[in-house]
Amino acid sequence: MTTLRAFTCDDLFKFNNINLDPLTETYGIPFYLQYLAHWPEFFIVAEAPGGELMGYIMGKAEGSVAREEWHGHVTALSVAPEFRRLGLAAKLMEMLEEISERKGGFFVDLFVRVSNQVAVNMYKQLGYSVYRTVIEYYSASNGEPDEDAYDMRKALSSDTEKKSIVPIPHPVRPEDIE
Amino acid sequence: MAARGHVQDPNDRRLRPIYDYLDNGNNKMAIQQADKLLKKHKDLHCAKVLKAIGLQRTGKQDEAFSLAQEVATLEPTDDNSLQALTILYREMHHPELVTKLYEAAVKKVPLSEEYHSHLFMAYARVGEYKKMQQAGMALYKIVPKNPYYFWSVMSLVMQAISAQDEKLAQTMFLPLAERMVEKMVKEEKIEAEAEVQLYFMILERLGKCVEALDVVRGPLGEKLTSELRSRENKCMMMYQRLQLWPECNALSYKLLLKNPDDWQFYLSYFDSLFHLMDKSWSQPEEGEHCVEGPVQTTVAEAVKFVVDRMEEQDKKESRPLRGPYLACLELIHRLRQRGCPDEKELGDPLELMVQFFGKFGDKPCCITDLKIYLHLLPPEQRSQFKNRLGELVPLGEAGEDGFGFPGDTKALQRHLCVCQLSRALGLQHALDTEGKLRLITELKAHYHHGLQFGKSCLKTELQFSDMYCLMAAHVYIDLWTETGDENMLWQCLGMLEEGLSFSPSNAQFKLLLLLLFCRLGAFQPVVDLYSSLDAKHVQHDTIGYLLTRYAGSLGQFAAASQSCNFSLRFFHSNQKDTSEYIIQAYKYGAFEKIPEFIAFRTRLNQSLHFAQVRTERMLLDLYTEADVTLSLEESVKAMGVCPEEDDIPWDNMRDNRDLTVLVSWDPKDRELTEEHRRLSLEEESVWLKVRALTLRLLASLALLGHAPSPWNSDKTNENGISAKSSTLQTLLSQLDQTLETAAQITEKHTQYPFLGPPSSRLASALSSGSCHCQASALQLSLTLRELETTGLDDSSELQTQICNAFKSSVAQLQEMLSRCKGEVLEMKDGRLKTQPSLLETLVFFVETVCVVLWVASYSANVLRPLKSSLQKKKKKKKDSSTAMPVVMCGFQEWTGSLHGVVTQALDHVKGQEASLTALKLAALTLEEGYSQTQEECGFTRAAMDKVQTSYLGSLQEMGDLLRKRADSLKSLKI
Repeated sequence: MTTLRAFTCDDLFKFNNINLDPLTETYGIPFYLQYLAHWPEFFIVAEAPGGELMGYIMGKAEGSVAREEWHGHVTALSVAPEFRRLGLAAKLMEMLEEISERKGGFFVDLFVRVSNQVAVNMYKQLGYSVYRTVIEYYSASNGEPDEDAYDMRKALSSDTEKKSIVPIPHPVRPEDIE
Repeated sequence: MAARGHVQDPNDRRLRPIYDYLDNGNNKMAIQQADKLLKKHKDLHCAKVLKAIGLQRTGKQDEAFSLAQEVATLEPTDDNSLQALTILYREMHHPELVTKLYEAAVKKVPLSEEYHSHLFMAYARVGEYKKMQQAGMALYKIVPKNPYYFWSVMSLVMQAISAQDEKLAQTMFLPLAERMVEKMVKEEKIEAEAEVQLYFMILERLGKCVEALDVVRGPLGEKLTSELRSRENKCMMMYQRLQLWPECNALSYKLLLKNPDDWQFYLSYFDSLFHLMDKSWSQPEEGEHCVEGPVQTTVAEAVKFVVDRMEEQDKKESRPLRGPYLACLELIHRLRQRGCPDEKELGDPLELMVQFFGKFGDKPCCITDLKIYLHLLPPEQRSQFKNRLGELVPLGEAGEDGFGFPGDTKALQRHLCVCQLSRALGLQHALDTEGKLRLITELKAHYHHGLQFGKSCLKTELQFSDMYCLMAAHVYIDLWTETGDENMLWQCLGMLEEGLSFSPSNAQFKLLLLLLFCRLGAFQPVVDLYSSLDAKHVQHDTIGYLLTRYAGSLGQFAAASQSCNFSLRFFHSNQKDTSEYIIQAYKYGAFEKIPEFIAFRTRLNQSLHFAQVRTERMLLDLYTEADVTLSLEESVKAMGVCPEEDDIPWDNMRDNRDLTVLVSWDPKDRELTEEHRRLSLEEESVWLKVRALTLRLLASLALLGHAPSPWNSDKTNENGISAKSSTLQTLLSQLDQTLETAAQITEKHTQYPFLGPPSSRLASALSSGSCHCQASALQLSLTLRELETTGLDDSSELQTQICNAFKSSVAQLQEMLSRCKGEVLEMKDGRLKTQPSLLETLVFFVETVCVVLWVASYSANVLRPLKSSLQKKKKKKKDSSTAMPVVMCGFQEWTGSLHGVVTQALDHVKGQEASLTALKLAALTLEEGYSQTQEECGFTRAAMDKVQTSYLGSLQEMGDLLRKRADSLKSLKI
């Protein structure tokens, strides 16, 4: 009961019900345009029959192929409150994984606030595991402390030995991640 | 910054510190370092440019520009200078100069791939499509790489898209683009997916759908792999355009078998089915069958298909998909539209919806899903439907209050959904006042009961029962709008504030609070609410109207100015931002995105909200500052307003407001319609026109004021002046026309849904009398202009006319002021009453005072030289008996009366402030007769305090401004 299609610029005028969520960032126009120009296939939106936007995923492919670090990355994934509990996030993740597979990626990764237990658990259910912790990845604005992120990964079929997801025991700083 | 690759070059080493300073924002040091370097190495051009960047960033635009031009005229060909100049020109908003730069560079270094490619991008930044086409080909000739060739092809497509003449696009640009691609196809040189995409795009735009289909289905189509289902989507698009219904039907069928939840394909499946039926299409008996597989042509087949899909889901152990069940309702809806009796085969809509609720009632989207099909129920079945659903909601034993509560969140969601559906069916609206109050009590009880399930919720999460609270608020609003009982509103505010305390991230609570405070005329609490929504960037365009509609109209000028600034900052960065990504799209071959980005940029530039904040921001500046710190003329010049220029795209205005951002479960007949949207845009546009004309008229008045008097200037100046006054005349008659249209519009008394767009300020502006008072004051300035040319002799009629106008402007202001009288907030019979419209009227009065005083100041400027020359004459004649001309006396009387009106207004404001301050809200008893808990009362009181403080704030700001204006009256002596 969902129409899945490519995200377009016009959707930026309609995504308030998704983006007025406190954990969903509304980025500047350049950020969205960069993704649309470079990785349009990784930016997918789900639309309800009444025309409301239900949720979207925005991602990219990056990393060195030679070092077996070529992978899909989830930059943003958000579902509007009224369309939660339908498995929509899982569906969008599945699509991003499939595109990453086609591009020969070794894994898919994403960052998530350590406090966002709902999301962390969902990703775990989808087969993701914590690869490392990134210290103070999320900068807070209103005087609250910066927050750590989990860098979570799921190996794709190119990574036959699942080397890419062997966890790194020590946390890293944001400047040390590639 | 760029260009630091070659370590060997000693110049790079020398320049590096300057780059570093610039990168770190240390512009002063960058300039110093550049100066130092230039002393030793005079010809190190790049140092000059870097210095210019430093100057530009410290606000010395002119100096920066001339320094840059020194280098540019030398036509540099070193990387460093070129890139630095590119950065500088972009920061100066002169991207067209970059093209000149690289045009010169490729002339000098004709084989440079890099410079040619920079030239292409420079053209792309300014949208010079023809030159892009040539630059792309030139590149390809130097280095035969496919992307360059296709850049050129895409530039042809852009010429087609931007061509005014569609014929030119169809007969010249697109066919040429097509031939260019065909050439590559024939030579088997097609390499990338992007190239196939572009080919498809060209054929599609040419309407060559058959050819486009061949490309997608043929070997070239195999390259379309990035996007999921790329080939299928493109085929479907072409089938629909070609009306190839058998193919469309078969492909939809196939895709639905794979994913029975993908809604778009149900729609195309049903569409194609009915088209085929209408055409009595039948399967060809022999020979060619449909390439996409089996075609379905009868209702029976469609019914079976949908029923099969539902059965498939019924068998699933977990997570059934909603698609098939809703497809069933959709099919009934369509069959009913066609008057086809077969809908019975699918079952009774009521039963089907009950079944749907049984399966998905615990999902928050159940209401959104079913809402679309509620019309399938006949009115007499509505209550029955609600009762049937109620049976499927497990609630505990009813307590003392008669309410039973859900035992877990799933049961809660089901119960909530029934409430939402009964609202959407109109059952809540049908209740009488007593019934509604009982409903509120019930919803509140459920809200409070449900909070226990969310005790462990983080503050970024919503409470499970939040929507009960929101719905109770909606019922309160129903009661308020129906009965006018303001207590309903206060309780509503209290309840929403309470809700927010339990669920501090709930955007819907914030939005509704924001709207209610605005309706109450209290803007101050809105500022914090809006900022806690963390609305950014494009959201300023879509929901910024919630702020800007009210801030200025409620007299919170400082806040209004700030809200306009948020939006303006966003719009101004748009132009530069989008160009960059158009270029990226060329680089990455995302050709489909290029027209999309351009359309997006246009949509933002033509935004209604953009034009509104642009205009309001300038008007605000004038009302608050002109003739206070700077003169009107200086203010107008600083803003760069030109009275002759109209930069608002009246015919292409885009309404980007998100008018459904507030959740509503109202029945269909109370929902926002397309007609509402149209009327709201119309009303806002006319109001904008009034404001934009006012602004231009004020600019015109300012320039008129500065014109030298005709008798001490030559003829050419006189012509200049008459041109200025004719602009004023033209603008005035445009204003008159617009006000006539405005009057017609307000006569319609359009009522929008409460949660829809706010009404514009048009109606209150007209009824306050401000528009006409301002227009006649401005008209007066023209009459004075006439007197300036005629002189004092032989102008007694004109003088009388002017004096009458003086008097009538005072009378108009008096009348406006009398409309401001009354208590904006008062306690009556133990209840709090507000009259926010008094505040709005006061704001219009203050704005009008500003306009009248500017006209007065212009009048003084006209009369002063007339008077002094008169006195000179008197001295010569030594004749003291000549009476003062009528107009002089009239003017003195006028300024006296104006002073009187402003003083009265100040007294009124002071009086209002005093009675507001004296109002002791604590003395109000809230509990009596209403079912508010102590906590709720506390929140209601807090909301009342906020309103009181905000009113005071507005009054203070108006008072301050009036005092400043009263001061300016002193300079009106002649």
